[in-house]
Amino acid sequence: MHEFGIALEILKTCREAAAEFRGARISKVRIAVGELTAIEPDLLDSAWEAAIADQPEEGSKLEIEFRPAHQFCPECQAEKPRSEGSWMRLCPDCGMPLMIDGGDELDVLQLEILKEDEDE
Amino acid sequence: MSETRVLEIRRKALEANEAVARRLREGWENTLVLNLISSPGSGKTTLLEATVSRLREEYRIAVLEGDVETERDADRIRALGVPAHQILTGGACHLEAKLVEKNYREADFGDLDILFIENVGNLICPTSYDLGEDFKVALLSTAEGEDKPFKYPAIFSKAEVSIITKADLLPHLPFDVEAVREQISTLNPSGRILLTSTLSGEGIDQWCDLLREKLGDKRARSA
Repeated sequence: MHEFGIALEILKTCREAAAEFRGARISKVRIAVGELTAIEPDLLDSAWEAAIADQPEEGSKLEIEFRPAHQFCPECQAEKPRSEGSWMRLCPDCGMPLMIDGGDELDVLQLEILKEDEDE
Repeated sequence: MSETRVLEIRRKALEANEAVARRLREGWENTLVLNLISSPGSGKTTLLEATVSRLREEYRIAVLEGDVETERDADRIRALGVPAHQILTGGACHLEAKLVEKNYREADFGDLDILFIENVGNLICPTSYDLGEDFKVALLSTAEGEDKPFKYPAIFSKAEVSIITKADLLPHLPFDVEAVREQISTLNPSGRILLTSTLSGEGIDQWCDLLREKLGDKRARSA
């Protein structure tokens, strides 16, 4: 269960990015999680809730974009779909090592901040 | 009045860890660094005891031992006359680069040929964290059962070397070595697979040869 540590890193990244907007409150965070990262999106969501409890970010939403891994066989010249839960790296048809594209993302993409106007 | 603003960030969530790992890797230009990952009880420390016993005259070796609690593993390595430093995670299930950097500095091993980092016993969490190593080594003992590579694919697909340990137990276990090799090759076509036993000595020479080869390759690259 390392999702909590990752939630804390995401929170730190968000705070750094929002630091120049003083008095702004983070309301939404959009991240990308690749399917080969061994990160479980539901657990990460729970970990986020725990990380922001009693923090200024409490109530902010974590939006998780799931990024699949694409597998391409250089021999068959074709994309080879992954079956559920399978991590095969060899082509099921010809046995050649597959080229894997994506799936390793664990990125903070976008922040939504709420800024109260100061002079009104 | 309040105003909503959208900030585009596009940063890796583990960027802080990766920055420290890059720094460590630069500092280890002439040292072969391995990150050993397995379940608790697969034989990481026992393999290291056998390894340092064979190589301690040939190379300057040190070991960073990651555990939740106790100095036991570091004591076992030190008993063989090889410097070791215990990293206590205090409950955390994996090592992070920052923790490795802090403990490596404290340990002050001096110039090294090979540094082993033994991760906390866990097949999942350590997989996400780069420690600045040259490559990860995954261990799986025959007693754990032959379905593990497919059940824990992330580590076996990322480890450059997979070691099946406790080969001496094979006569007593329904463990199909070829089936396990096939699973690992499916996950990681270019990965190396070794079968070892520290009791019979099987595979330990090949493992030590692999370390010599990898250190030689690294030195040739950085020369």
